[in-house]
Amino acid sequence: MLSFILQRVFQSGIVLLIVGLVAFSMFRFVGDPIDNMLGQERTDADIERLRDQLGLDKPFVVQYYKFLEGAVQGNFGISYRQGRPVSEILVERAPATLELAAVSGFLAISFGVALGVFTAIRRNGIAANVIMTVSLIGVSLPTFLIGILLIYLFSVELGWLPSFGRGETVEVGGWRTGFLTASGLKALILPSITLGLYQMTLIMRLVRSEMLEVLRADYIRFARARGLREKTINFRHALKNTLVPVITVTGLQLGAIIAFAIITETVFQWPGVGLLFINAIQFVDIPVMAAYLMLISVMFVGINLIVDLLYFAIDPRLRADKATV
Amino acid sequence: MLRVTCALCALLVGNAAAAETFKWASSTDPQTMDPHAVNSAPVLGFLNNVYEGLVRRGKDMAIEGALAESWEPIGSEGWRFNLRKGVTFHDGSEFTAEDVMFSYQRASSEAADTASWFAPVSSVSIIDDYTIDFITSAPNPIFPDSIANFMIMDKGWAEANGAELPAKDAENHATLNTNGTGAFQLVERQPGLTTVLEPFDGWWGEVEHNITRAEFTPIQNPATAVAALLSGDVDMIDPVPIQDKARVDQRDGVKVFGGIEARVIMLGFPHAADALKHGSNAGDPNPFKDVRVRKAVAHAINVDAILATIMRGAAEPASQLVSPAMRGYSSDLAARPAFDVEGAKALLAEAGYADGFSFGLKCPNDRYLNDESVCQAVVGMLAQIGVTAQLDAMPVQNYWPELRADNYDMYLLGWSPGTFDAEHPIRFLAHTPDAEKKLGSWNFGDFSNARVDELLPMIQSEIDDAKRQAMLDESAKILQDEMAYVPLYVQPLVWGAQDNIELTQRPDNFFILRWVTVN
Amino acid sequence: MTQFWNSDFMWSFRHAPVAIVSFCVVALLVFCAVFAPLIAPFDPFDPSTLNLMNGFSKPMEPNAFTGDSFWLGTDDQGRDVFSTILYGMRISLFVGFAAVLFAMVLGISLGLIAGYVGGWTETIIMRTADVQLTFPSILVAMLIFGIAKGFTPVELRDQMAIWVLIIAIGLSDWVQFARVVRGAALVEKNKEYVQAAQLIGRSSFAIMLRHILPNVLSPVLVIATISLALAIIAEATLSFLGVGAPPTQPSLGTLIRIGQGFLFSGEWWILFFPAVTLLTLALSVNLLGDWLRDAMNPRLK
Repeated sequence: MLSFILQRVFQSGIVLLIVGLVAFSMFRFVGDPIDNMLGQERTDADIERLRDQLGLDKPFVVQYYKFLEGAVQGNFGISYRQGRPVSEILVERAPATLELAAVSGFLAISFGVALGVFTAIRRNGIAANVIMTVSLIGVSLPTFLIGILLIYLFSVELGWLPSFGRGETVEVGGWRTGFLTASGLKALILPSITLGLYQMTLIMRLVRSEMLEVLRADYIRFARARGLREKTINFRHALKNTLVPVITVTGLQLGAIIAFAIITETVFQWPGVGLLFINAIQFVDIPVMAAYLMLISVMFVGINLIVDLLYFAIDPRLRADKATV
Repeated sequence: MLRVTCALCALLVGNAAAAETFKWASSTDPQTMDPHAVNSAPVLGFLNNVYEGLVRRGKDMAIEGALAESWEPIGSEGWRFNLRKGVTFHDGSEFTAEDVMFSYQRASSEAADTASWFAPVSSVSIIDDYTIDFITSAPNPIFPDSIANFMIMDKGWAEANGAELPAKDAENHATLNTNGTGAFQLVERQPGLTTVLEPFDGWWGEVEHNITRAEFTPIQNPATAVAALLSGDVDMIDPVPIQDKARVDQRDGVKVFGGIEARVIMLGFPHAADALKHGSNAGDPNPFKDVRVRKAVAHAINVDAILATIMRGAAEPASQLVSPAMRGYSSDLAARPAFDVEGAKALLAEAGYADGFSFGLKCPNDRYLNDESVCQAVVGMLAQIGVTAQLDAMPVQNYWPELRADNYDMYLLGWSPGTFDAEHPIRFLAHTPDAEKKLGSWNFGDFSNARVDELLPMIQSEIDDAKRQAMLDESAKILQDEMAYVPLYVQPLVWGAQDNIELTQRPDNFFILRWVTVN
Repeated sequence: MTQFWNSDFMWSFRHAPVAIVSFCVVALLVFCAVFAPLIAPFDPFDPSTLNLMNGFSKPMEPNAFTGDSFWLGTDDQGRDVFSTILYGMRISLFVGFAAVLFAMVLGISLGLIAGYVGGWTETIIMRTADVQLTFPSILVAMLIFGIAKGFTPVELRDQMAIWVLIIAIGLSDWVQFARVVRGAALVEKNKEYVQAAQLIGRSSFAIMLRHILPNVLSPVLVIATISLALAIIAEATLSFLGVGAPPTQPSLGTLIRIGQGFLFSGEWWILFFPAVTLLTLALSVNLLGDWLRDAMNPRLK
């Protein structure tokens, strides 16, 4: 078990290095930051000087090495756009994204599993079929359009919910939270629905599909034959056995939530790292782009690790097998 | 009914919570609070509320005294500024000529992005605490105009905080903090999130506004910004997307402020390139070297149609590189080439392109209002005269490098003269590129005309207005005859606000808080 | 033929009204898309046929300037919305099918290999998957776009954009297939029947194909179903970020991106019709997939 974890951490480190390298090689295709950093009245000499100053004339491998050198010491450089340390900016922005992702993830998992179980048990019921169909509408439109339509309906026409931003936030020990104010909570509603809708549908459909299969399995039939209560069968036996694929996909979806937060944050002007990243791309703010990619890489690799460990916990058959990997 | 009730309670709560808190949103966040670090409209526009220059622009764009009460030419080669007495910075320290000298050194340093304003300056000397001389290397009639955005920073504060020079690759105290003399002071700065200003009690000027607190938020997505305005979450947005202008105007509770910006949108050509670079004729001789082809392009474009549909009637056609509101505009040359498909075809035939040709058009898709739609329309209009344009639209961060690499056959460009003077585009767009003299730095197509090059220094040093105008007219005429660029239209300026907001809109798209009243 | 009609599969189809309706809708939309050049009244990709003054014509109403009338109105460029939708759907469907096919083939192969072979092969494949996952699809697309842009001449770029989209969406999707297939294969691998097959000397490849594949088909179908709709939607999302199909050759997603700019301005038809088309298409595909999954799963009979 310990050697497995160590192995995984080592592999994860390599993954991070590769991510960084790929990221740096792509930055030069994103554009040129110079024009954004200099005004209209810049001269060619100014351009050359700044390029030299930022080390942009060096090959990307050299730039990458310099970035790594700094990153190891916790220094991600200075944002081209804001002129401030990137690490400081990320620490400021991370709470917004994490809170949004947590609420969306919570909504997606709780509603997804609950509705998935419901639609599986009541497979032929009217309610289950309606839920199945309606849930599909949510994934049949692009996220940005759903967000804009929600804003149009609930902010502009009904005036119930704020159209953008996080509302009022309170700082608790360096963490700026929107959970503690009414306007902060209200501001979370539309973005988290927008972000969580797709994941909820996916989880729900997966849970249903797995449940249906498990419910047909022999041991469930035996359980029924033995006269166990329907509830016990559904939840203690059936649901538990659907969990392997569900956990895989849910783990993946947590990552997707962070990634898709980019869109949601853009539509709702949600001041998280996703919006920061989109701004960084528009500005070709290389230090911010690099740090963001590293940050979410760490997060995804972590999620992967957890998913793998959960496999162990849930399906003992995998344990012996895994030791050889 | 429910809606009415809700609107009502929102109104009540809003009013009770903050009497004159003013919230506004714009598509771009000023990237720094340092007035000398970035020479861009969002930064300078925002900081005009916090910092002040020796001179400033009034509601009609005319130059008026700010930190300088008066100024006069010294002989023919320099200007003396008599500074305002009794002015204090936000932290209470006194404003003197030392601060001007310090700010000059800071703003003209290599690390500053504003150095080009001071290119004509040969030396600066403090006469006494409230008098300072700027000596120029040649007579410079528009020098005071050209430094309207040169903002004065407190010397003592900057030195105490290690912010003597602006920096692009290191953190700087002045990036997040300010100490100016303006009507508003910075209370809170969260880059990309909110920036909060409050009125400065010790301001020297007469207060026109009734704001007690002003909160700025950037909102990039245009639809979200409109939603924020319509739902009452913000009091003012800049800009309102052009297509939403009519709807916003009709809606109860909100109104739009429309005007004309200083920016002229135009098409540019490669004047020096030998061959076409894109399209099925790539490698063939460059047809745009022939003035008849450039004229054919000008006649093929139905600017009125672009203005009526894409611009919703909000923009004005342009005939030269500056708009009529600019100083030095040539009013005798106000006519644009007529929309004339047959004439354009005839010109093409005359130039030997009766069957048309194919080329590549570069266009930004996030720089100017509806830029990509305009380019698409241009493609359609050129197709009518048998010329096939391959449109390549891209974000601006990819666009400028392409232009610098001369990788285009035609391109779209917008130009807003920082000095509000017709000399500006001649210097940047029409003069033969000359890195040493820092001229023609945006003349991507290498347009070159000996007479224009000759006229520019004469225009720059001419004190007599009539003679200066005659020379400006002459170069405008040359540029029109040569069709160096095809000016299309002057970009409109559309802001939206709640009905209870009164404000003044200036053509430089600067939003000046001290002219805002909340009723 | 008769045999197929009478098969269990078709019996189930004939008794599922939702499936029949969705199938008809998808078939109709695919038909319209394939034969768009014959059905559409205009060719929206030919700029010389456009008249800017026709811009913003309302549906079924003559244009104020030109008097021309368009069934579903026109957009800001004076393009007939109906024609543009037909052509746009063509692109969307092509991108969707091609991307899912690409992702599926790649994902299933790699997932099966990883799950069955194990060892270093598995480690390399699954770590590659981690790297892949770490890059949100949006970034993958931007990366590929950037690289492709650097290497393609501009006249090919518009066509390239479509292939880049397919590769980008496909690449960001294969991991899902691979991980689920691998996860299931790990479980199946230790079951008696696979071990038995191994004992009687069947080759590894045959075992994987014949025994494991049918058993992992159910989750793969779930993902493939959503993936097709998702690929169409992903294309739309990418176009929102400016890396989708070019506006001169718009897909449904590009049309929606353009149309959302007119949501507040009153020209609802520029957004509404493409959005409804996309919704109908994606919804039908999803519903069809739903039924397909149940019908093709032998254990649900």
